[in-house]
This record gives sequence, structure tokens and C-alpha cells, in this order.
Amino acid sequence: MTDSAAPVSDLDLFDDEVLVDPYPSYAALRELGAVVRLPANDAYALTRYDVIRDALADWETFSSAGAIGFNPMVNEALTGTSLSSDPPAHTRLRAALTANLSPRALRGLKATIEAKADALVEELVAKGSFEAIDALARALPLEIVADLIGFTGHVRDNMLRWGQAAMQVLGPMNQRTAESFPIAGELYAWCSAVTAGDLTPGSVGRGIFEAEARGEIPPDTAGHIIHQYLGAGVDTTIASIGNIVALFARHPDQLALVRENPALVPAAFNETLRFWPPINAWGRRATRDVEIDGVLIPKGAKVAVLLGAGNRDPRHYPDPDAFLVERNPIDHLSFGYGPHGCAGQGLARLEAHAVITSLSRRVERLVVGPEVRVPSNVTRSIEELPVLEVFPA
Amino acid sequence: MKIVLNRPRCEGHGLCEEAAPALMHLDDDGELVLHQEEIGDADVPQAQAAVRVCPVAALRLT
Repeated sequence: MTDSAAPVSDLDLFDDEVLVDPYPSYAALRELGAVVRLPANDAYALTRYDVIRDALADWETFSSAGAIGFNPMVNEALTGTSLSSDPPAHTRLRAALTANLSPRALRGLKATIEAKADALVEELVAKGSFEAIDALARALPLEIVADLIGFTGHVRDNMLRWGQAAMQVLGPMNQRTAESFPIAGELYAWCSAVTAGDLTPGSVGRGIFEAEARGEIPPDTAGHIIHQYLGAGVDTTIASIGNIVALFARHPDQLALVRENPALVPAAFNETLRFWPPINAWGRRATRDVEIDGVLIPKGAKVAVLLGAGNRDPRHYPDPDAFLVERNPIDHLSFGYGPHGCAGQGLARLEAHAVITSLSRRVERLVVGPEVRVPSNVTRSIEELPVLEVFPA
Repeated sequence: MKIVLNRPRCEGHGLCEEAAPALMHLDDDGELVLHQEEIGDADVPQAQAAVRVCPVAALRLT
């Protein structure tokens, strides 16, 4: 064997400054190697596109079981979910999760989502100035997911903080994680107690309970599935819609390209996801000694899959730090890849494509103030984005 | 070469259809239909593109 020790960096992936702007740090890690040991996080980081994609496809070597979060408490709590299991158990859980979430299940929703997005954008353009995160990036997915699952009353009011906390607790046991656990616990408790009668008749959420009653999914999984819809699908979609507005404002030439050629709408979303992934780092565990690029990752090691570093790898994407919608990076890593590829990506595409379509039809240019960012363990998103002026189309 | 579909894993995201419209399409129920399993040399690049873009790795070439 010619395995050598992995290069080492003193970077802490969950340092406040790194969380707010991880890309310079990722560039330095990529230069050190495709695999870099991070003692601060007790993990081996995968930094380059090819090794990340290969690792995501290889679930036998890079296990999700008890491994996706960066603290033992959250990994324990996620035991038995599709996120945190490997085939064959994963295959069954995933099928139950996606039965109502796959593109074929969501086809009927396209027109409704487009109408909601367009009505919202139309109203905001008419106002001329607004805070884009609350008024658009949060408003749209919260309404769509609430209606989809059939939430009513106080649950709707809690969706944002529950969704944020569910992502935050995946980090290491720092102050953010400690403060978020009680809130994530509220979500978990609610999902453990929810019954079909709590959800609007005809909703997807009600359908999940009906599938459970018919024996199509295992007993007691309906609550888990609702938990994943809320935990994984709210905060991330909010991040990407906020990013769309910010990136179009920063790059009016790129907005102009989409305006001229609406066929670029999916490409613009792919590039937004590549450029600023809602999730930059995700966990796995090595199930065996594995050699990558001549470096050994020992059996049992924690692995940090740096999706955001792979997305900026110049070995795969020329000029990776430029935001260019025409590159259409359909193979970006932001939804993960393979058996654990984002289960909600079909819904995310429906929402984001609707927003991009409407913005590009109705807006020629946006003038924004400085974006406010707050360090967050897992979801990288904009906290506030003041739109000061809209030049309507 | 042969295109192999892992049907249980396919969720109908449809990115393959965009990459290789001559080789596959989603039917009215959103199920993927391969027009032929065996493909000639001329179609290999399109087939490779379809395999590459599948977000859940449900397609492979053998």
C-alpha cells in the first residue's frame, strides 16, 4: 500500500466566519487535497467534485447510518429515518417518503404553485420596495408546504422556527445547536402526536396517514415523514429563493439573459444552487479503510462531504467563482446525489422555477441594500435582503 | 452498450429525458420508458449524458 496520511488543516467548518463565507476556506482545502483531515471537527473532509460525487454514490463505503449530523445526539434522534439509514432499510423508507413527493406525485400542483408565486411577485413589484426574505423567500415555501401537508393554526406559525432548528441541530454541539435542540424537540413532539384529523382533508399529509392506515407504509412512519417534510424542506427552499433574488440583483446581466430566453429558467436555478448551496456540508461515516487519491480514510472515521467545495472545483467547472446561468450546471452537488439525493428536489424545482419565471417576466432590474447574514450550522441563507427599488419590465 | 434502469430507485425527475429525448421519455403516469435497451455507438454520448444527470443514480450503462 502506498497510502499516505491525509493533509491536515486547522480549519473549523463551523466557525462563524467560515459559515458566513465558506468559499475562500474551501478553495484552500481543495488545494491541500481531495481529502483533508480536520482535527477541529474530528472529520475527514472531501473537497473536490469527483471524490464527492463518487462518495455520494457509494453508500456501502460512506454510510449515512448515524452519520449525517455532526453531534451524537442528533444522529441518535434521526435513527430510523430514511436520511439516516442505508439500503435495504433506506429503500423502503425512501419509497414511503417520496410516494407523495416525487415529480409524478406533484404534477397536479404546478399550476397552483406558479399562480401563487406570480401573485406574490406581482404584488411586491407593485410595492416597489420590500424585504425579500420575509416577503418572498419565506412567504412562498411556508404557504406551499403548509397547504401541501395540510397544516393549520399554530403549526403554520411554528414552521419557520421549527424548520430552522431542525437544520441547526445537525451541527456540532456548539451554542447554536444547544439553543436549537429544545425547538427541534417541539417539532419532533408535534410530529409524534399528530393524527390524520389534525391535517386538512385532501392534503398530502392526510394522504400519508391514509397510506399508513391501508398498510402501504409501515405503522408509525407517517409522523416521521411529516417531520422530514418540515425539517428538510422548509429552511433549504427558503435559502434558495432568497439566493435567487440576491444573485439576480447582483448580476443584472444574468437576469437579462433569462429575460431574453425563458428556456434558461431551469439553468438559472441550477447555477444558483451550484453557486450558493443551501447546505454546504453533510456527514457520512467510512465503513471500511478506504483510499482516495492515495490518502487513507480509516474505517469508522467521520466524513464531512463539502458539497459547496465540490461545486466550486475548477477541475469540474471552469471559472467556478463566476455566476453564469448559461453554464447550466445540471450535475451540481447541492441536492446531493444517488440514493440519498434530495427527496424534495421536485418540489424545490417547482417553487424556484415559478419564482424565477415570474421575476424574469416582471422585473428588469432590482436595486438591493446590503444583505444580512447570520452564522448558521447547516443552512447557509440570507437573513435580510432589502429590495430598495424595482425597475419593472 | 445497454442502458439499465433501476426502476424502484427512479422517482421521475425527468432530467434524463431532457438529456436524451431520443432514448427515453416519461409516460403520462410519469414513469420512465426506455425506447430501447441496446443502443448503438452513435447514441452512446446521449446515453452517458442521461446517466450523468440522473439525480438519484437510477441509470447506468453496461
